[in-house]
Order: sequence, then structure tokens, then C-alpha cells
Amino acid sequence: MIVESLYKYVDYILYKLIIIPALWGLLIFCLLQHGRVKIKSTAQQEEEKRKEREKKLKIYVAARDACFSKRKDGVWDDEALQLTQQLLSSNPDFATLWNYRREILMHLETVKLVWLTAELFFLESCLKVNPKSYGSWHHRGWVSARLPRPDWARELSLCDRCLSLDDRNFHCWDYRRMVVKMSGVPVDKELEFTDRLIGSNFSNYSSWHYRSTLLPLLHPESPEPPSPICEEQLLKEYELVQNAFFTDPNDQSAWFYYRWLLGRGMYVRFPVHETYWLLLSNINMYVISFTQRQSSLNYRIITSNRILCYIWPKGIKSAQYFMFLLYVLLLTGRNESWCRDSATDQELFRSELSVEKTSVLQSELQSCNQLQELEPLNKWCLLTIILLMRALDPLGYEKETLAHFQTLKEVDSMRSAYYSDLCSKFMIENTILKMEYAEVRVFSISDKNLTTLCHLDQLLLVTHINLSSNQLQRLPPQFAMLQCLEVLEADNNSIESLEGVYHLPKLEEILLRNNKISTLADLQPLASCPKLKRLDLRGNPITQTSSIESQLAELLPSVTELLL
Amino acid sequence: QGTQVKDVIIKPDAPSSLLLDKHADYIAAYGSKKDDYEYTLSEYLRMSGIYWGLTVMDLMSQLPRMNRAEIIDFIKACQHECGGISASIGHDPHLLYTLSAVQILSLYDNMDAINIDKVVDPFHTLFGIAGLSLLGDEQIKPVNPVLCMPEDVLQRVSLQPDLLS
Repeated sequence: MIVESLYKYVDYILYKLIIIPALWGLLIFCLLQHGRVKIKSTAQQEEEKRKEREKKLKIYVAARDACFSKRKDGVWDDEALQLTQQLLSSNPDFATLWNYRREILMHLETVKLVWLTAELFFLESCLKVNPKSYGSWHHRGWVSARLPRPDWARELSLCDRCLSLDDRNFHCWDYRRMVVKMSGVPVDKELEFTDRLIGSNFSNYSSWHYRSTLLPLLHPESPEPPSPICEEQLLKEYELVQNAFFTDPNDQSAWFYYRWLLGRGMYVRFPVHETYWLLLSNINMYVISFTQRQSSLNYRIITSNRILCYIWPKGIKSAQYFMFLLYVLLLTGRNESWCRDSATDQELFRSELSVEKTSVLQSELQSCNQLQELEPLNKWCLLTIILLMRALDPLGYEKETLAHFQTLKEVDSMRSAYYSDLCSKFMIENTILKMEYAEVRVFSISDKNLTTLCHLDQLLLVTHINLSSNQLQRLPPQFAMLQCLEVLEADNNSIESLEGVYHLPKLEEILLRNNKISTLADLQPLASCPKLKRLDLRGNPITQTSSIESQLAELLPSVTELLL
Repeated sequence: QGTQVKDVIIKPDAPSSLLLDKHADYIAAYGSKKDDYEYTLSEYLRMSGIYWGLTVMDLMSQLPRMNRAEIIDFIKACQHECGGISASIGHDPHLLYTLSAVQILSLYDNMDAINIDKVVDPFHTLFGIAGLSLLGDEQIKPVNPVLCMPEDVLQRVSLQPDLLS
């Protein structure tokens, strides 16, 4: 009762004696100001904002400096924890502070274990500020790993939430992979997870990619026929991905996954013959080439006088071969020795396709062709068709391949240079395939719109090469591998650089009519070709240079027939 | 859903040539905004920020407008005992900012400002190849510090850094 009357009393005072008079006072004040009521101008608003930011800045700088000085003094206390928390909540990318915070936590760990759990909550708020902060994710991983009993289920649900906001957040994917690894989530559950994500949205590159890492674990590779996952599962995947790219042919994620599935059947395998070749001359140059079936081709060019280039396969006792050859050559005193296994030339650029694999690829080609009829301007489809045709029958499909490349260049003109180069590569491969016998040492690939040269390591034994009427701009350093070359025909190109035409000990004739050679320096590499006799430079800008004849005579004294 | 698409629609009456002078002025003045909130907050990447500003000025042939001596002193102050370089004074050393510092010194042709032998160690990763090249490693192709690409590639695509002068 006393309390009630007390309340009434307070109420009376508060209401009657303070608030009402105050309101009256305010009203009178406002009336007095009538006519002088100011609306804040934009300038004033700007000024207020500026002052506010200045204040914010002061607080920030004070906190930062306090942190730095504490750290310098080796202080790891609660206050330091507070300060770093304050700063990191608004600026989670401040990496140095995360480092400092870890030092503090490690120090406090012995005192208060509960800090680590609280840290996880703090981190969630940081991640809301910037879900792509390296510092935050890394720190969370650090904390999770240090907890005696981490709640991995919660971590997974955090990842789910993050991915639902942005399914390509790679920070989150990396973190998820770590969680899966640490907590031992079974692979099939993760596969289901990708099923869900892909099912709800086909355009999900990260999910497809993750799937490609999971499948080989669940359904491991079979060596026969070679494929990244077992055949049965493969067919299911083909169906899944076909749904995806038929639904949205413009989404690249499905196409990339598809190419991965088609896998090694799609890519050309490398040379299966063994070629070894040694040249002993008075300048002691050796060229050794070893190639082997089923191995990746490793080659290096070392520009020293002793070894010009060598190609080293895996698993072959190369050193032994080398010693043996050297021995044989020294004994027999021959200048040149080579050997080639012609029986396996057929499979030069083909992969070993089993019957089953071939039929699978053929049906895939059919599906893609169907799609191509519906979507004639879709570049992904065109490119995949080309690759499938290469895998099945490079020579048989040559015409169609060229036609498709033409369409591709029109449809995706921004990448036409890439397509030109790719097409050049395929044309060179076809020409190499057509070289019937090992004894044929002439390589002719003119008028094929070549923009680039490749597979030069396949042409080590070539004596006569015809590259005329193409669109080449340079003869690259790898060209120097053609150690047997005697005649080089490259008329009607756009060649400006001859940097690869050096140290070719047998080269006698170079035809470069109608190119873009413009300075004497461009021809400098030729000076190292001691047998060069005939040089045709007609139709090149360099011919306009005065006294070019005498300069060339000085640079290339061995040349007897110079055509300008 | 996903990363926000921040497309901007350019109005038809927008200028069709780069206002290089204004850009240069902006960057030249940027470093002096030491009392700006965002500037202070981004201190954790200051070394890279300086590098980005310098490369743009170099592309516009306006590099002399920046305070070379001040920047080099700043870099010296940021090299730690271990050889690594931090983003700013008082921060921890990090590979990213070590690379940026090396790139800046390459632009200014003053690699001796830092202890090279100590710096090399963080670079024994593929990521650091550009850095090693700038530090003069002979086994690696020369790299252009402004465009961060090998010089011969730049020559092949005919891209010269002084495009905008």
C-alpha cells in the first residue's frame, strides 16, 4: 500500500511538475523560433557526416594503436581480446589482428577454454560482414581444429547457409572440404549433397567440380577401358549432364563436366614409336629423342653446345639407351643413325579406344549433333562435337571439323585466334598421321590457314618442310629441333621472326618469299646455319633497305644464291 | 543469389575517351588522404594499394608525380627480420605484400633498398616466380612489373605499357 501511494506520488511529480511544464516550455520555445526554424542544408548534413566519420576514425585508430603497442609489449590479456574483437567486427580482413588474436587465444587457452567456443559465434558475425574474407575463414578453421569436441554438424550447416547465399564462394567450399575430411563424412553423402545442389540449379560449376572429385573415390577408375570412373556410373553421369546441357546449352559448367567425363578418350595420346637419333659432327651436337607409348611426353630444350634438345620419357632407362647408341656410333663411325618402329605409327595420335568406348563416344556424338540442330549457334556444342570427332576418326572427319571451326569462328569471334590455333594443331596432327612410312621425310602442309606450329618434336627426321601459303608469324624456338632439315619452304606467310632457325647443321635452302622480314636482326639466327646456300627474300620489307646485299653478304657468307 | 551483379549502364552521352588527367590527379591525391576512414581501414593491404596506384600512373606516364623517396622509405620500414615484407608498418609480413613491394622497387629500379637474400626465401613457390624474376633471377624469363606478365608474351601480343601516353 505504501508502495502504491509512492508510485502515485512519483507519478504526480513526474507528470504534473516536470513533463507538462517541459512540454509547455518547448512549445513556447518553438513559437519563439517561428520564422527562424532551420532545415538542415546538404552542406550541413555533409559536415555532420564528416564529423561522425572523423569520430569513428579516431576510435578505430586509437584501438588499432593500442593493439599494436600491446602486442609489441607482449601483452595477451582480455583487453587485447576485446580490442581485436572490436576492430575485426568491422574490418575482418585485417589479417595481422587475426594473427595477434590467435596468439592471445593460445595464451588464454590454458586459462579459459570457453574462449574458443565463443570465438565461433564471433566469427559468424564476421562472416556476415564479409563472407569472402580469407582471415575469417582461416581463423574459423584454426579454431575448429583446436576444439576438443568440435560440432562438425553445425559447421556443415553453416556451410550450407553460406552456399545458399552464394554457391560459388570458394572460401566456403574449401572450408567444407576441410570439415568433411576432419569429421569423416562418407563420400556418398557428399555425392547426395551435390545431387541436391545440381538438381536445384544446373548452373553450378563448383558443385559439378566437387562431384568430379568425389566420383572417382566412390566408383574408382577402371584401367580397361581407361576412364576416370567405372563404365556403369559413367553412363548415369552422361545422362545427368546431358539433361543439364539440353536444358541450358549456354551454361558452361555442364560442358566442362562433360568433357571431363569423356575423359582420356578425348585427348590425343602421344607417339608410340621410339626414335633415336644422334648426330656426330665436328661441332659435337647430339639430338636424342625417346618417345614411348602410354607415357606423357616430357621435353626440354637446353641451349648449350652439347645438347640441343632431348625428350625424356618416363620409365625408360634412357641413360642406358644413350650410352648404348653412343657406343655403337663411335664404333661404327657413322654420321647419322636412326631407327623407327613403323608398325605402331597408326596409333600416333589416337587413344586406345576399346569397342565399348568407341560406341559410347559415337552415341554421345549423336546426342551432341541433335543438340546442334536445335542450337546451331551454340559454341560449346560445336567445340565438343569437334573434340569427339577427333577422338573417333581425325582423318575421316577432317572436312566436317574444318566446317565446324569456320562456324565457331563466326559464332564466337572474340576467340577466333584460339580456334585458328587449335585448328592448326589438328591439321598438323592429320598431316603427321598421313605420313605413311617412316622413310618419308618430306612434310608438306601448305594452304591450311596455319596460325601456329606445334608437334615439331614429331618432325625430327624431316629433311624437307613446306609451310607455304599459311598465316604463320614466326618460326618458334622449337623449330631448332628439326636437325635433319635441308630445305625450308615458307613462302606467302607473315613471318617476322626466325628465332627458331638456328644451329640447323644441314640446312641449305630457305624460301621466304612474301613474308614480313624487315630488319637485318631478324635474319641473325641464320648465321648459325653453316651450310646455307640459297636464300629467297623477295617480297619482304627488308629488300627496301639500302645496301642490304652487302650487309647480307657479311652476315651470311656461305650463301651463294641470294634472291631479293 | 550468388555474387552480386554490379553492372553499370553507360549513358549515351558519357565521354568516349579516358579522362587521363583526372585519373592521374585522383591517384596522386589518394595517398594524402590519411584522415580518411576507408583509407585507414584498408591499411592491411597498403603495399598492394601503392603498387596498383603506381602501375596506373606508370601506364599514363605520370609516375614522377608520386613521391618515390617516401615510398621507398616506407618499404624499407616494412621489411621484417625474416625477410618478408608487410602491408604497412606494424603489420605482419606476408607473401602478397612482399611481392607488391618487389614490384614497386622494380618499377623504381631500386631493388637494393631491401635485403634481397632474405626476401628470396618466401618466393620458393610457383606463385613467387614473378617476384624471383624481378629480383634478377637468371633462370626465369624477364617479367614486366607493370603488367605482371613475361616480356616476350607482351611482345608477341604487341602490348606496350606506354599505350596511354
